[in-house]
Amino acid sequence: MTSAAKVVPFRPQGQPRRARRRRPNARRGAAAAPGLDLESLARLWSRFYFAWHSDEVDEFGYDPKFTETVLPFFEFLYTVWWRVDALGVENVPRKGPALIVSNHSGVLPWDGVMINLAVRHEHPARRACRMLALDMFALLPFLAPLLAQSGAVRANPENAERMLRKGELVGVFPEGVKGVGKRFKDRYQLARFGRGGFIRIALRTGAPIIPCAVVGAEEIHPALAKMNWLGKPLGLPYVPITPTFPLLGPLGLVPLPTRWSIEMAEPIPMDAYGPDAADDPMLVNRLAERVRGTIQGMIDARLAQRRSIWLG
Amino acid sequence: MRPRRVAVTGTSSFLGSRLLRRLAEKQGPAQVVAVDVAAPARNLGVRHREIDLTRPGSDQELLDAFREEDVGAVFHAAFFTNPRRDTGLAHELESIGTLNLFAAAAAAGVGHVVLRSFTALYGASGQNPAFLTEDRPLHPDPSLAWARDKLEAEQHAVSFARRYPDLRVTVLRLAPLFGPKVQNFYTAIFDRRIVPVVMGYDPLLQLLHPDDALAAAEAALERAPRGAINVVPKTPIPLLTAVHLAEKIPAPVPHPMAYLLGDLLWTTGLGPAPGAFAHYARFGFVADGEKAQRELGFAPRYSSRDAVLAWIAYRKPRLAASKAEARA
Repeated sequence: MTSAAKVVPFRPQGQPRRARRRRPNARRGAAAAPGLDLESLARLWSRFYFAWHSDEVDEFGYDPKFTETVLPFFEFLYTVWWRVDALGVENVPRKGPALIVSNHSGVLPWDGVMINLAVRHEHPARRACRMLALDMFALLPFLAPLLAQSGAVRANPENAERMLRKGELVGVFPEGVKGVGKRFKDRYQLARFGRGGFIRIALRTGAPIIPCAVVGAEEIHPALAKMNWLGKPLGLPYVPITPTFPLLGPLGLVPLPTRWSIEMAEPIPMDAYGPDAADDPMLVNRLAERVRGTIQGMIDARLAQRRSIWLG
Repeated sequence: MRPRRVAVTGTSSFLGSRLLRRLAEKQGPAQVVAVDVAAPARNLGVRHREIDLTRPGSDQELLDAFREEDVGAVFHAAFFTNPRRDTGLAHELESIGTLNLFAAAAAAGVGHVVLRSFTALYGASGQNPAFLTEDRPLHPDPSLAWARDKLEAEQHAVSFARRYPDLRVTVLRLAPLFGPKVQNFYTAIFDRRIVPVVMGYDPLLQLLHPDDALAAAEAALERAPRGAINVVPKTPIPLLTAVHLAEKIPAPVPHPMAYLLGDLLWTTGLGPAPGAFAHYARFGFVADGEKAQRELGFAPRYSSRDAVLAWIAYRKPRLAASKAEARA
């Protein structure tokens, strides 16, 4: 049987082209046709959007479907790029509130993502850790919605306390901007731990504190100097100069593949002091200093063991 | 003894007209007084007092009305939910009108006044905590006349509550209404095929289903708590999720331009709101609804997503049908 190529007309021959459009209900018919009018564009866009976003988020904007979608990229960073060694993750309680307190470094908040992944992958209960993000990240256009959808929350006492009262695991970087933006020459020297706000929250909610030391993140973007004058008009507290940025442009934002370790110490119980202890500034400062000392000790021990930045 | 009557002001507003109907059904039309320049639907059979709150001397008219009708509680809903170009009229109605209303209510011995207010008065800012509680100071953008007049109305409420301890004042801060038959600038924006959004931002919105708003208003009249109470839906929804649920095309505008563009469209009569409203498309103003649960016994039945879906079912029935089909 031979079948030659046959022209199949789109519309019955002889019918005028405009005929369909003139019908008052033409739109109804057009819905099935794959034309690129605004309506079908909106429908396509909506399908694309909901292919990787859920249509309902939690009260802080956490979107589990979005997080699942972007997870493979972060898993690549975790296992291949930075080859993270996670130690002591079992110190995180299986359930109930807890506050992970960590050093902050690396110009961009990659350490928060990696702590989150360490708990998610290496903890028996596969807990999700809600990171408290600095204003400079949590309010930055484009980054802000991404952080919220992946479970981070703007760092402020009300938000932290609300999540701990709901029994969530919360991660916080008390060094704040001073930590993440520190220069290469100051690496692994912990900055001041804010004003002890994280201790007050832990005291009020009775959540235990888990000191956490991240080693390896200080070298991913070695900030040689900072251009504060450029940061101001962009709404950033600093713009770092690293060996690759701004020299290589956007390529300079690729972090260096150092080897990381994330170590978590045994929880420090806070419920023995009672919620009223949050109003005792001397106690708050003493506890904050104790947590800071623990983390600095863990970092120093880890650095003494480390033989290479790249190989660990 | 016959219980004292309930008066509702602003009965031509969306919430006011609904509340009037509900009260007439529950307490009987003879127990309800409508205070508005326009007469309520005749078939309701409620009592009507034609008082223009913007007119000087309206306080005396209100006082007479409250005394003659033996009014025990007032629900004050005479507010413009949409920004107006005629800011002078809005100021007279919302700020001065509320002042007149409270003066008359206090003088007439009305026991309880409920003021309809807005969670938008907290102001949208990056500094807001994820949940705004009622004790949070109100800081709307000072250039927004829309918010300024409503803020003044709340200040009058606070000052009268302090000066007249016998007057119970409830301030109901409602999240933006969204749902079937609602007409405000949110629905006006969603009525278009292309929805302007601020580039790089996706704030959480609280969109309140009208049924929830009504239930909260009734509960406020019933329980008569003192102070401000947020009335919010179960959960918020990200702006872009709402846009895509309704199958609209988002048009991202960089934020330095959004304010200018908004003002330009507003002054030329094309846009639904002045540029400063772009704050509300950049930052969240999500309020905490716990106090309403505690003091009103009000638990929202709908989430913001439910409100959007209800609006879609009303406004785009074909889309709603295809969504239902996809679910089945």
